[in-house]
Amino acid sequence: MTDANTPAITCQNLWQVFGQGADKALTDALSRSGNDADKAAADLREHGFIPAVQDANFEVKEGELFVIMGLSGSGKSTLIRCISQLLPGTGGEIRVDGENVIGASKKALTELRRKKLGMVFQHFGLFPHMTVADNVAYPLRVSGVGKKERMARAQEVITLVGLEGREDSYPRQLSGGQRQRVGIARSLAVNPDIWFLDEPFSALDPLIRRQLQDEFLRIQATLKKSIVFITHDIQEALKLADRIAIMRDGKIVQIGTPTDIVLRPVDDYVREFSKDVAKGQHAKVASVMRDESERGPDDPGLTTSMTLDAALAHCMELYEPVPVRDENGDIVGTVHPSDLAAALQVDET
Amino acid sequence: MTAVSDIPSNSAIQLTVGAKAALITVVVGAICLALEGVAPWLVKWPTAWELPATQWVGAFLDWFLNSIKPAMRLFSDLMAYPMNGANFVLGNTPWPILIGLVTALGWYLGGLPMAALGFFGLCFVFASGYWAESMNTLALVAVSVPVALIVGGAIGILANEVPRVRSFVQAVLDVMQTVPTFAYLTPLLLLFGFGPVVGLIASAIYAAPPMARNVMLGLERVEPEIKEAAIMSGGTRFQQLFQVEIPAAATQIMVGVNQCLMAALSMVIIAAVIGGFNDIGWEVLLTMRKAQFGESLMAGLVIVVFAVVIDRMSGTLATERKRYDQRVVWAVLGFAVLFTVAFWAWLPNPSELTLLDPMAEAVDSGLTAFTQANGPWLDALKNNSLFYVLLPLRIGLDQAVLPFTWGFQWTTGMSFGLFAVGAVIAALIAWRGHMTGGLVVLILIGMLETGIANLPWPFVLTGAAALSYVAGGWRLAALSVGLLCTILVSGLWERALLSLYLSGAAVFSCAVAGALIGLASAVWSPVWKIVRPICDMLQTIPLFVFLIPVLMVFQIGEFSAFLAICAYAIVPMIRYTRHGLVNTPEEMMEAAISSGATEWQIMRDIRAPYAAPTILLGLNQTILYAFAMLVIAALIGTTGLGQSIYLALGQADVGLGISAGAAMAILALVADRIVQGFAEERRKALGL
Repeated sequence: MTDANTPAITCQNLWQVFGQGADKALTDALSRSGNDADKAAADLREHGFIPAVQDANFEVKEGELFVIMGLSGSGKSTLIRCISQLLPGTGGEIRVDGENVIGASKKALTELRRKKLGMVFQHFGLFPHMTVADNVAYPLRVSGVGKKERMARAQEVITLVGLEGREDSYPRQLSGGQRQRVGIARSLAVNPDIWFLDEPFSALDPLIRRQLQDEFLRIQATLKKSIVFITHDIQEALKLADRIAIMRDGKIVQIGTPTDIVLRPVDDYVREFSKDVAKGQHAKVASVMRDESERGPDDPGLTTSMTLDAALAHCMELYEPVPVRDENGDIVGTVHPSDLAAALQVDET
Repeated sequence: MTAVSDIPSNSAIQLTVGAKAALITVVVGAICLALEGVAPWLVKWPTAWELPATQWVGAFLDWFLNSIKPAMRLFSDLMAYPMNGANFVLGNTPWPILIGLVTALGWYLGGLPMAALGFFGLCFVFASGYWAESMNTLALVAVSVPVALIVGGAIGILANEVPRVRSFVQAVLDVMQTVPTFAYLTPLLLLFGFGPVVGLIASAIYAAPPMARNVMLGLERVEPEIKEAAIMSGGTRFQQLFQVEIPAAATQIMVGVNQCLMAALSMVIIAAVIGGFNDIGWEVLLTMRKAQFGESLMAGLVIVVFAVVIDRMSGTLATERKRYDQRVVWAVLGFAVLFTVAFWAWLPNPSELTLLDPMAEAVDSGLTAFTQANGPWLDALKNNSLFYVLLPLRIGLDQAVLPFTWGFQWTTGMSFGLFAVGAVIAALIAWRGHMTGGLVVLILIGMLETGIANLPWPFVLTGAAALSYVAGGWRLAALSVGLLCTILVSGLWERALLSLYLSGAAVFSCAVAGALIGLASAVWSPVWKIVRPICDMLQTIPLFVFLIPVLMVFQIGEFSAFLAICAYAIVPMIRYTRHGLVNTPEEMMEAAISSGATEWQIMRDIRAPYAAPTILLGLNQTILYAFAMLVIAALIGTTGLGQSIYLALGQADVGLGISAGAAMAILALVADRIVQGFAEERRKALGL
């Protein structure tokens, strides 16, 4: 995960503005405001435009699971559609594997989608007139792979998502969870490097949702794709993400690891999200560790990757600082039990 | 109620938009009435001010049509090949094989019920002795439909691909929907001369728009995520369209195919009016002219059978279909061939069959007996409707009330009395807080006194503008006035008012009767069980056939035309009313019930307001249907634009035909936009 290669996706100053003549309006607004994104966005709104994505900047590293979270209307679906170029993008740069895709030719985009990109949709987007196998094989069919070969590959991914035996069913004969498995299989058919998932589990029952989340993590553990994952569910984001970007009204307000989001929210909006999250289950000991050598006599055996809940259970009766070890068993810092309790305090605001 | 009566003074001073518009209309109407004697030009647009628009249009079209004539003639020569081919094939295939084919097709499409429908339907046609005529008609449909499907489909796809073309195509389709069928025929007549090719091309032109419309609609309604999935799969635009979007829109496109077939059949039959060539439409027309109603009805029934078979069979395409055993198909076909071969020498010539002639004669004699037995009653119904309802509506009480019919002479004093009563009622309603309602009552009384055909033109224009303004703002008002003015200056105004009167009367009757039937069907399901098949039937029957029964009972005349229009135009009103009332969300009903509302209160306060936009759309359809039928009804006696279009057809007068057709289209278009505007406003108010 700490791959130092070129990032899989880079977004720089990305804007998506809706309205007649948005391109020019954006350039004008930016020059009027002296490249201040907030002022430019307000300016655009005043002139009747909708800045759905404002000045987005982030990178997705190779093999990273990057989650974009926000409420409905926050621009997260627009953002993923910009990156996948389902929407053109009004300004800025999107680099996929180092290539700028904004303004790329139709042919180049088609080529990119056939080889490197896969996408899963909230309402599945299955082709109603094709069987499961035909749906899954479709991305191979359009790029001219022969029938025998593409059916063999389709079978592989269908097995991967656990749908063996339903190859000849039509989407209408499947349950919601099964349909999304087909959607996932189809998006993996060409073995893409980059995987877009637009609220893939939002339309499912809670139980099925959790089941699919777990399977998704299992698949990702073996495939190691670079992923952009959209959700409006903070629990889902915290469970899956390597890093999370939180969006509000078209703006990315914070990017950070799940622990960052829970323990160090940048503003009240983000704090509001993490309010009803059981912080102890997501934040790690490392986040409250101090670089001190002074500590008490007890050693309850804390490690950096332990969750706060687990750590607190170990030091229930302790009041003095205790040592923390890394994976190798070396002591790397100190934790005050009072810090643990303080970190878990639910905000009253 | 209380809220309104709490602030009566306020509502009297601050008029609503509707009240203002109504007030202006009243004032203009009053001025026109007052100045009637002094300035007759206010009532009747002077002939001297008319522009010879009809001649101009005629001259231009003559020139235009003549310049494209060679190309078109070439096209029609080309079309003659497939048509002759289809004629030859259908005309020479032994009838058992055709019956077998249709039965097998029915089985393939819809199993036993469809197979039975196809079998018995064709057997009826066979027995009627109209086999040869039917095959000629079918041959026309068989050639015109593929043309319409290809052209319509291509236009639909093009409009979907090129956004700029889209709005243009949409506008053209909207206009084409309102142009009456006969109006198409006149220019085609000039281009192609008399003969079956005109019918062929007219029906292809008439049948293409529903296909285009449904292709556009279907492609538009494909879920956005399905389209995106096709893009993200890396499909080219061509692959996306043909591998994903069109198949995903198949159901809607099949609805288009169904409508296309029905439109083609309807038009082929109507086209008989110009190019009789031994087809079934011609047979109806001929027997109708000869007053052989029994045979006319029989031929009409053959058309209905075809319409029902084609409609129901192609309708199965648009529903999710089970697969039926293909072996049955082959068995049926095999049996048909064997039957033909085995009995080749004994096969009767279907044209000589007279199996149903006794039935036709029985109908004829039965009808004579019926009209004789019920003559006084039927005459009374017809005359009372004419003298006490239709005529006053047309020329006003002041002219319609004569000693001869009403038993007394209308006097100026009575006019004043009428207005005085009207004013009192209006004042009463206004005093209760319904300012607009009171003013509308006043307007209606004025119209009843004057008669729709004699309305002063400034009043009509103001009224149209006021309605449009309330329904859709300044732009709609300007559009309505602009369009109506073109009728005014072109000298077709009087005829337009006559058309307006008859269709208005029909629409009003349909609205009242249709709403009541729809209401009954909504609250009492046994009624719907009876009404529904009747509605289905009325919608399947080609326009032309409606004329036969009314003619049989009431002879030629305005009342027959009125009935034919009503029979055709009432269906959407019934359907939409019921649909709107039945589809009230369950939750709203439950909320009302748990608030303690009675059945009647729920209907008045919840279901009716919720259904209002849907009912208005039904009214809109009813208006369009009425205008469409008005022109067909010209065959059995209406005045106004319909008659002009029909006459123009007979005289091959393109100028008059197209101008009158355009005037008709304008009336329909303005009515359509106004009602749509109201429906839209209601929908917005309900947040739908």
